[in-house]
Amino acid sequence: MLQAENVLFTITMLLYFAAMILYFLFVVSKKDKLAAVASLVQAVGLVLHTGALICRGIGAGRLPLTNYYEFATGFAWGLSLVSLVFIRKYRFPMLGVFAAPLIFLIIGYAAMQNREVKDLMPALRSNWLGFHVSTVIVAYGSFGVSFVLGAVFLLRERMKDGSFWDKHIPSREKLDLLAYRSVSLGLLFLSFTIITGAIWAERAWGSYWSWDPKETWSLITWITYTMYLHFRVTRGWHGKQAAVFAVVGFICVMFTYIGVNTLLPGLHSYA
Amino acid sequence: MRFGMLLLGLVCVACVLGSALPQGKTLEWYLEHYSPRKAALIYGLNLSDVFHSTWFLILTAVLCCNLVLCTLLHLPGLLRRMRDAADSDAVAKARPVATLTGVTQPDQLFERLHMGRPKALEADGRQVRFASRNRLGLWGGTVCHLGILLLILGYVLGQTTKLEYTVYGLPGQTKPVGDTGYTLTIDDFQMGLQDSGTPDQFTSRVTIHNPSGSASERAEISVNHPGSLLGFSATQNSMGNAAKLTVLVHGELYQETVLCQGEYLQLANTPLAIFFDGYEADAPFDDGSVHDVYDYTIYDSSSGRSASDYQLEGEAAMTTSVYEIRFSEPQHYTLLQLKKDRFLWLAMLGALTVLVGLILALYLQPKQLRALEEPDGTWTLYAYSRKGGALFADQVKKQAADSRQSD
Repeated sequence: MLQAENVLFTITMLLYFAAMILYFLFVVSKKDKLAAVASLVQAVGLVLHTGALICRGIGAGRLPLTNYYEFATGFAWGLSLVSLVFIRKYRFPMLGVFAAPLIFLIIGYAAMQNREVKDLMPALRSNWLGFHVSTVIVAYGSFGVSFVLGAVFLLRERMKDGSFWDKHIPSREKLDLLAYRSVSLGLLFLSFTIITGAIWAERAWGSYWSWDPKETWSLITWITYTMYLHFRVTRGWHGKQAAVFAVVGFICVMFTYIGVNTLLPGLHSYA
Repeated sequence: MRFGMLLLGLVCVACVLGSALPQGKTLEWYLEHYSPRKAALIYGLNLSDVFHSTWFLILTAVLCCNLVLCTLLHLPGLLRRMRDAADSDAVAKARPVATLTGVTQPDQLFERLHMGRPKALEADGRQVRFASRNRLGLWGGTVCHLGILLLILGYVLGQTTKLEYTVYGLPGQTKPVGDTGYTLTIDDFQMGLQDSGTPDQFTSRVTIHNPSGSASERAEISVNHPGSLLGFSATQNSMGNAAKLTVLVHGELYQETVLCQGEYLQLANTPLAIFFDGYEADAPFDDGSVHDVYDYTIYDSSSGRSASDYQLEGEAAMTTSVYEIRFSEPQHYTLLQLKKDRFLWLAMLGALTVLVGLILALYLQPKQLRALEEPDGTWTLYAYSRKGGALFADQVKKQAADSRQSD
C-alpha cells in the first residue's frame, strides 16, 4: 500500500505540475480551452492525491495526518480541493493560474519531508485527531484560496479594461466577495480546529488551553481573520484594504504552520 | 469599534511576545540568555509570564467590557434591523443589489431562489410580493460576542478556582493528592508496546480515598481516556523511569529505596545526596554494544554543588573506599494529573456559542426579494442583501434567465 502511495504521490505531483504549466500556457496563448484542460488535469491530480492519502492511511493503519509530510500533503490536497470548488462554482478558471503554483509549492515541500511511516505516540492515538487535523486542512486550504484571491484583486487594479486578464477575472466586487467567502469558510473551520483541539487536549493532557506556541498562533490567526470580517462589516473595508488583509492573514497561517514548527517548539512539535 | 480592534491587535502582540519569548524562566535564566537590559525589561514587564501577567489580565478584562458595551449599544439597532428586514416598505427604502424588469411570473422566481412563499401585499394601490430569508443571520455577531464572553469567563473562572495536582508513583504506592487530604493508591501501571518497541498506551489503575477514608473510587485511566475519581478528573499525563537504589557502607547495607527519575536520596548522617537523572534501556555505545544505563549525580551539600555525574551500566556498582552505590530493578512510574475545574462546562458552552454565532453570521446571509406589479401587468423585481450582494445579484439574474428559457 505504501508503495502504491509513493507512485500515486509522484503522479499527483507531476499532474499538479502539468496543471500549473497548462494554466501558464492558457495565459500565454489566451486559449480558454487550455484553462479547462488545466482544471481537468488538476481535478485528476486531486483524485489521485485522494487515492495516495487513502493508500497511506491503509498502509499506516491510521489517519495519514500526523507528521510533517502527511500534514503538508494534506494541506496541498485541501488547497487543491477548495480552489477547484471555487473554480467550478464561480466559473473562475483564472483562479487556477494563481492557485496551481501554490499547490505545487506545498506538495513540493511535502516531498522534501521524511515520508517514513512511524508509530504514533499514545497522545496521538485518538479519534479527535481526525476531526482536528481534517478541519485545519480545509481551513488552511480556504485561507490559501483567500490569499490567492486577495493577490489577484491587488493585481487586477493594474489590468487594463477589456484586456485578456480583465475578461477572465471577475469584477473587483465579486473577487472581494469570493475572498470573503473563502475567509468565512476558513474561519469557521479554524474555529472547529481550535475547539476540537481544546477538547482533545483536555482528554489527553488535562488542560484544554496551555498557551502552547501552536495554540497561541492559531489564536493570532483567528483574531486576524476576525478583524478582517469586523473591518468589512463595520468600517466598510472592501476591495484593496480587505485584499491586503487576506494576504497578511495567510502570512499568519504560514507562520502557524511552518514557522511555529521550526522556530517555536512546543506540544505540537510532531506536526 | 476602533477601540475593540485596537484591543484585539494588542492581544495579538501579547500572544506574539508570549510565544516568542521563553516563558516561566527565572531572572537568572534571562540574564544568561539576554543582555542585562533586555533581561531586566523582560522580567520587569512580566514578559516572562505574559499570559498570567496583570497587564494581560487587565487587557482581557477591558476587551470583555468592550464586547459587552459593543453588544449592548448595537442591540437597539439590531432589533430595528430585524424588524425592518421583515417589513416590505422598510426594505424598499434600501438600495437593491439587483433589479429585474418585465418579470411575468414573480412567484416562480421566488421559488427558484428558495425564498419561500411570498407575502401578497399592496402598496400605493399596486400589488407587491415580498419574502425575507435568513433574518436570524443578523444575530450572528451578537451570538459570537456572547460566546467569546462565556468562553473567557469560563476560562478565567476555571483558572482561578480550579484544583490541580500532579501525582506520580509506582504500583503499590499510596500518594497524597496535594494538600486536599485525599490519597491515591496506584494499584497497577502498564505500558503497552507496539511492534517497533515504541509505547502504545499507558494505563494506570488507581483508587482514590477521601480524607476521612469513608469513600473511595477506583478507575482505569489511560492516555486520551481520562477517569473520574470522587469529583476529580484524572488524566494519564506521562510516565517515567524508576529504579531501586542500594547504598552499602563498608560492605554493609546502609540505605535502600526506589527512586523515580528526578528524585534524590539523602544519605543519612552525611552531606551527600544521590540524584537519579534517568535510565535508558539498551543504550548504544561507541563500540557498537548496547547496555542498560543509569544516570545519576552525587551532590555534596557541604560544598553546595554536585560532586560528580555518573553513569552505571546495568547492574554495575560505583565503589569507593567507603561507599558502594548500585542501581537495579528498572521499572516505570506513572504520572497522573487530577483536576477539578467547575467552569469547564462554561468554557465549552462559550466555544459552542461562538461556533453557532459564526455559522449564523457567515452562512445565514439575510436577503429579501420584493416584486412590484407595473401598470402593464409585468412585475419589477428588487433583490436586497446586506452581505454577499454581488453573488445574490448573480443568482437572481441567473435564475431569471433560466426561468425565461424554461418559459
